[in-house]
Amino acid sequence: MEKTELIEKINSILAEEFEIDKTIIQPEKPLMETLELDSLDLVDMVVVVENNFGYKMKSDDFAGLVTFADFYDFISSKTGG
Amino acid sequence: MLWKGKSRGGSFGYRFFICIIRRFGVKFAYFFLIFIVVHFIPFAPLATKSNWKYFRKIQKFGFFKTVKYLYINYFRFGQILIDKVAVRSGFADRYKYEFENYPAFLEKLDSGRGIILIGAHAGNWEAGENFFGDYANRINIVMYDAEYQKIKDILEEVLAPVNHKIIPISDSEFSHIFQIKDALDNHECVCFQGDRFIDEKSSKVMDFMGRPARFPIGPFLIASRFEAPVAFYFSMREPGMKYRFIFTVAEPRKGHSGMDELMSLYVDSLEKILKKYPEQWFNYYDFWYE
Repeated sequence: MEKTELIEKINSILAEEFEIDKTIIQPEKPLMETLELDSLDLVDMVVVVENNFGYKMKSDDFAGLVTFADFYDFISSKTGG
Repeated sequence: MLWKGKSRGGSFGYRFFICIIRRFGVKFAYFFLIFIVVHFIPFAPLATKSNWKYFRKIQKFGFFKTVKYLYINYFRFGQILIDKVAVRSGFADRYKYEFENYPAFLEKLDSGRGIILIGAHAGNWEAGENFFGDYANRINIVMYDAEYQKIKDILEEVLAPVNHKIIPISDSEFSHIFQIKDALDNHECVCFQGDRFIDEKSSKVMDFMGRPARFPIGPFLIASRFEAPVAFYFSMREPGMKYRFIFTVAEPRKGHSGMDELMSLYVDSLEKILKKYPEQWFNYYDFWYE
């Protein structure tokens, strides 16, 4: 999958799952704050990543995820995209 | 009023009863309790006030029955703390135990998906551990960090180590979510108390015993999203040094509706328990709205 295609897919999934307007998702924006993630929403994030990208997230994975761009890179690296 | 993340029972009380049980036995410790309980009624005013409301407004007991049950409630609470210490001090054989629906719970646990076990601050959930045999090694108990530290510090320095694992919840980090997921993926049992929350945002108002009360959504949401089987578990003290372990297996449906359904099933289950064992409600704060 092309990187732009992957980004589009990620944005669509996040917008739908966390009920936000897709246009507010920008690569440089902070992931957690923009999606308003608390620990319970994190459960959804873990399930979203596992169900859509086939990767089981670990506790350490979130440490490096600050912006959406980080998240795109992370998913890309885990899915070989 | 919200629960503050700490449970009743100080280190002196635990140590005192550990000493009494070891020197004079469990029944002598109960005898001491007869007098100690009287002290609690006036000297634990917030607990007494919330208990009074519970018996009068929720259980709809009359004045004299409420006074009687106020005493019985504190006595049972003390008795359960003594039992907890006694079971972990090697006196488990002094008790009798009966199980309800245990095979159904084991069948789910062995089904290969792990299981989420949801209990409450009613009865004595810890009394069962000695009887889970090898299954105890597959039990993970999720509890708030403050509560965990207090119990750990007091009990672990004087009692035999427990077989179960603890998953402490901290507001500052999210590692417990991954620990829970890992435990379920390893076909283990993850236990929650379904009647405690700290943050109102992560709770939901339910009709409970005829009045609105808040319940945490966390255990139910996790079960629903991770598609884990769920069972409700209550370990209730009965006369004659007996515990009854009651399991109710529930099946969540996929998605959000599964969480709501689970919460309703849990509340129904807890209501049945409190109607049968009204004196074993140990949430000593205003659980219901005015």
